[in-house]
Amino acid sequence: MKFNADEIASVIQAEIEKYESAIDVREVGTVLEVGDGIARVYGLSNIMAGEMVEFPSGVRGLAFNLEENSVGVIILGDYLEIEEGDEVKALGKLLSVPVGNSVLGRVLDPLGNPLDGKGPVATTEFRPVEFLAPGVAGRQPVREPLQTGIKAIDAMTPIGRGQRELIIGDRKTGKTTIAIDTIINQKHTGVKCFYVAIGQKESSVANTIKVLQDHGAMDYTTVILSGASSPAPLQYISAYAGTSMAEYFTYKGEHALIVYDDLSKQAAAYRELSLLMRRPPGREAFPGDVFYCHSRLLERSCKLSNDLGAGSLTSLPIIETLEGEVSAYIPTNVISITDGQIYLQPDLFFKGIRPAMNVGISVSRVGGAAQIKAMKDKQVAAGLRLTLASFRELEAFAQLGTDLDAATQSKLDRGNRMVEILKQPQYRPLEVVDEIMIIFAGNSGSLDEIAINRVQAFEQEFLQFIRDLKPEIRKEIADKKELTSDLKQKLTDAINQFKATFKKTA
Amino acid sequence: MSNHDTIDAGRQHLGNVYAKALLAAAEKAGQADQVVGELESIVSDVLNKLPKLDSMLKTPRLTHEERLPILDRAFGGRVSPTTLTFLKVVSRHGRLDCLRAIARAARKQLNAARGLVEVHVETAFPLSDHTRERVIGRLRELLKRDVVLSTAVNDELIGGLVVRVGDTVYDASVAASLKRMAQVTLDHTKQTIRESLERFAMPT
Repeated sequence: MKFNADEIASVIQAEIEKYESAIDVREVGTVLEVGDGIARVYGLSNIMAGEMVEFPSGVRGLAFNLEENSVGVIILGDYLEIEEGDEVKALGKLLSVPVGNSVLGRVLDPLGNPLDGKGPVATTEFRPVEFLAPGVAGRQPVREPLQTGIKAIDAMTPIGRGQRELIIGDRKTGKTTIAIDTIINQKHTGVKCFYVAIGQKESSVANTIKVLQDHGAMDYTTVILSGASSPAPLQYISAYAGTSMAEYFTYKGEHALIVYDDLSKQAAAYRELSLLMRRPPGREAFPGDVFYCHSRLLERSCKLSNDLGAGSLTSLPIIETLEGEVSAYIPTNVISITDGQIYLQPDLFFKGIRPAMNVGISVSRVGGAAQIKAMKDKQVAAGLRLTLASFRELEAFAQLGTDLDAATQSKLDRGNRMVEILKQPQYRPLEVVDEIMIIFAGNSGSLDEIAINRVQAFEQEFLQFIRDLKPEIRKEIADKKELTSDLKQKLTDAINQFKATFKKTA
Repeated sequence: MSNHDTIDAGRQHLGNVYAKALLAAAEKAGQADQVVGELESIVSDVLNKLPKLDSMLKTPRLTHEERLPILDRAFGGRVSPTTLTFLKVVSRHGRLDCLRAIARAARKQLNAARGLVEVHVETAFPLSDHTRERVIGRLRELLKRDVVLSTAVNDELIGGLVVRVGDTVYDASVAASLKRMAQVTLDHTKQTIRESLERFAMPT
């Protein structure tokens, strides 16, 4: 397309004619020292904590520490151009980021600048990065499920819209995969997704973005990226910036999901800033208010009351542990803030149980309120946790090699098959109806005579069979959201019909 | 920014304390104005012009006893006894490096005590006496306080003037106006172009 130069000229002319000269009033200070992403500024006597300042190069900063003689500023951008003696201008504004529909499908830095080369973010709406979480009157209990599409999670640690569920585990245990699967599964649900990558390798974020694109999930997802090479101030604020973008939808009465990947790195960035600002270090050298840093962030995830539009913000913070050490400072903090955790273990992961979720210590404090009735059914997920727990006990006992009676042996067989059913390849989230049907099949003992290595094939072919030949059963479960005895009978019949054609051993 | 204007927050803090003590002592003798004037003159007429003397006063290699005769010979008889005693006290505490900060703080505190406001005005051309009087008159009217005016010439401003009161800057310079105008025009034009682009976009 061509621009008309005359048109542009006339616009500029109109601008100049309209331009009113006003005296520029600003509060200023002088840079005393600068480095490592922070600056110390003399002057700015009326500045408030959290206020934005501007350096001559146009780089913005945030008043972080107000001291008797100077102001500590964290620099949001390139600090190499700032010199001692530069004039710093207080802007009298709080840091805000662009929000709205136009941020969806974009890759942005924590200040809302595009990183994906798709041009500027076309929006006129902005929202402050730091925003107070709604109080008790503005909330209501979590009641709708947010389906992750992962059988083990939807069945045993269900997540509700407005819940905060921690994903915790060592490196390389599949934490990000769970989050990505959940985002992929939000397709066609209207849930807007935000993936905040903090201190990660840009290469792995590029991979994640590609996966999201390949599964068509980028249409409703925003990636907020502050990579491992970004300065600590940007890593620190990126979580809040992402939350602001997500909150926009929450307060509009819509549903949003935000993934913080990961908060351990954010805490480390905050520690770096605090130490540079000479705030006193506490446990593990983290500053005293690192708990507040996370609690005020995660409190913003909520289910809003009907008066406020009943929107929700679900968050999936991720914490990386070292050698399974959940009792370190940051993990215990975040565990205590969130409404439950999904604990991933390397030994399970290497045994091939993926997602490598440790069912025993993973919990969701919202529980059944975040499940549809059909999933809560006694023959589906209700007793699953206990069954699996008793299976683990028996399994340990059976390893002693003693002869087992028939009842114990059958319990073991059932448990092994349930474990097999709960395995799931990555990026393949299931619809909740499918999850219910296959768990029902496992619980009803229909798979007991299937060889363990054929269980996954059974699942796949069975779900395909239902989809092709018995679509009415799927539809009925989806519509009624409940397993009536009539429906159970139909399902059992369908299972038996399918089993007759299925090759039970390889 | 020239070297002698650099601010050191730590020294400035010390300077405030010494200045407070000095003013209290000088006020008792009724010589506050004179003492502060002398102190400023020491900084601007002596230390700034004789960097060697400056560094000698600062150096920790000399003991207080060794510095005393220098101080006596340099300033004895030329400044009031209060000022000289003060210099000796500062020397005994090894804080002669803070002298500039002390002078700055003393002036500030004296002005504050007298109800004066320090105003710094930057212009593109040197102010004529007439304009200067008008600026002072107008400022006095606006601030409702007596004004101590310091001026500087900065030809980058092109025209107009920049007034600084405390940490607040009132920028009525041509340069700032032009800059802002450019920014506003750029923003609006960008917006208009984007809107006209959307006119051709397919409705989604």
